Amino acid sequence: MNSHRTSRFLKGTWLALVLAFLYIPIIVMIALSFNASVSRAEWTGFTLGWYAKLFQSRQIMEALKVTLEVAVVATAVSVVIGTLGAIGMHAMNAGMANVLNTLSYLPMTTPDIVTGVSLMLMFVFTRVPLGKWTMIMAHVTFDTPYVLFSVMPKLRQMNPNLYEAALDLGCHPAKALTKVILPEINPGIVSGALLAFTMSLDDFVISYFTSNTDQNLAMIVYSAARRGVEPTMYALSTLMFIVIMVLLLAVNRRSGLENMG
Amino acid sequence: MIQDTRLIEIKNVCKRFGETEVLHDVNLYIRKCEFVTLLGPSGCGKTTLLRILGGFEMPTSGEVLFEGKDVTAIPPYKRRINTVFQKYALFNHLNVYDNIAFGLKLKTPEQMGCKSKKEQKEEIHRRVMRMLKLVKMEGYEKRSTNALSGGQQQRIAIARALVNEPEVLLLDEPLGALDLKLRKEMQLELKTMQQQLGITFIYVTHDQEEALTMSDTIAVMNGGRIQQIGDPKGIYDEPKNAFVADFIGESNILDGVMLEDELVKFHGTEFQCVDEGFAPDEPVDVVIRPEDIMIVGADVGMLTGTVESVIFKGVHYEMMVNTGAQRWKVHSTTMQPVGSQVGMTIVPYNIHIMRKQKEA
Repeated sequence: MNSHRTSRFLKGTWLALVLAFLYIPIIVMIALSFNASVSRAEWTGFTLGWYAKLFQSRQIMEALKVTLEVAVVATAVSVVIGTLGAIGMHAMNAGMANVLNTLSYLPMTTPDIVTGVSLMLMFVFTRVPLGKWTMIMAHVTFDTPYVLFSVMPKLRQMNPNLYEAALDLGCHPAKALTKVILPEINPGIVSGALLAFTMSLDDFVISYFTSNTDQNLAMIVYSAARRGVEPTMYALSTLMFIVIMVLLLAVNRRSGLENMG
Repeated sequence: MIQDTRLIEIKNVCKRFGETEVLHDVNLYIRKCEFVTLLGPSGCGKTTLLRILGGFEMPTSGEVLFEGKDVTAIPPYKRRINTVFQKYALFNHLNVYDNIAFGLKLKTPEQMGCKSKKEQKEEIHRRVMRMLKLVKMEGYEKRSTNALSGGQQQRIAIARALVNEPEVLLLDEPLGALDLKLRKEMQLELKTMQQQLGITFIYVTHDQEEALTMSDTIAVMNGGRIQQIGDPKGIYDEPKNAFVADFIGESNILDGVMLEDELVKFHGTEFQCVDEGFAPDEPVDVVIRPEDIMIVGADVGMLTGTVESVIFKGVHYEMMVNTGAQRWKVHSTTMQPVGSQVGMTIVPYNIHIMRKQKEA
């Protein structure tokens, strides 16, 4: 009995330590974003001033626009490529599909810095000026696998006769795709899109290498940090953290609901 | 009523998947309003043949004629054929009503004999409601398909196919997932529907009883070949070879030698039979149905043996009788105790002689 209690105590402590290690820095940052003092060393009162300042900064608003534009366009493009890619791979023979599967995993596992540098080299080599559009293209490359791997399981779970049933009832193949296959795998597409959007929102390394002119929020935070952090950056980071957490919670909730049936 | 016109003709159809030959030179014709069952063990090629009829597979060689015209390369959406799939394949993102209306909504108003979109909508509503009534699912139109039981899903799948008024309905083991009682009910209902609507049904199953209950014509398949085509009674009473005899109903199958016309020797004994046209001393398969063996007194039987086991089957007792050289399955309405000596008699008419199958 006693040893049981000890083991429960140790387990609880360990879990608390891990969670503290993970979240205390973020909680500290969030707290500091409400601190009236510029100094990190003292708490001089609660304020929303840093948030107000954030929304008054043209530079930050401009970066927010770039971030959202890049995320929306890159997500849209990768949803199309990823979904069609998944449907194509699903229809292939197992050997070929395996090869493509592995190739599609690579961008997810390659270090961002390698992806960033190699994309930059490619754009420089092909003389494409580095700006918003190269950033979008770069984001598509790392967003697409998230869509692909969210859609693939849906296709595998799908009754293989569904497509044939659509043809049987009079659909041309293209119509069978839009009227039956896409609605059936839609939950996977939405989850994939949410993941891709999240990845785009908070990407720094790859964006940094593939855009000279336009800066997204992560790049702003980085350059501000080099000059010496001011609390507006805590406020900005807090907002980014919350938005991304909400998006990921949405993805989790969706997949949770589906697994329940 | 079955009409004499041949609606579908399958001519010399072969199908290979890589190295394996799934169908070997299949020939079969199907008449208008006929209920045809493709019956065989799993892997015999029956589903592949059905998929060729539906347009989901292309035969490697041979052709399929529909009303005399070659439709081998016509895609499924241009065939006047609908399919009920094994696992129903209902569209889960649509409710029951929209599942059934799916095929009709793809048609233009003109194709449905309607003058306007509005008129077509009303006609679709009428037909969907009629189908729901036919499959006894009235009141379910707003339900989600996920909330239905297997039997109910099957009914919706049937309605979804029938509402298009196809010339031919293909059914791929549609009752396989249902429990025995429901399956029996659905068998009768399907048969009634088929007769009411006057639609040709092509039905795939491995259940011989189901085939005997429902079909006008049965094509027994094994190893990618059609073994026998005939009506249920003909197939049951006059199986063409030992495979059919064994697959349809229960049988005692013995090796025998045809001594001369109407005389066969098996089990070390000569028996009168009614078959002729065999070569002298030709080795044959002898098939005797368990219900065709009569139990008589041990002293008057053509064969005598010991009862080894008795199982009560409801209508009859199933007994295993050991005669030393052979164990016989016998069906009888009177029970003989285990261990007792019994005699057995078989009338010549019930001894079925079959040419030995050459192993492929």
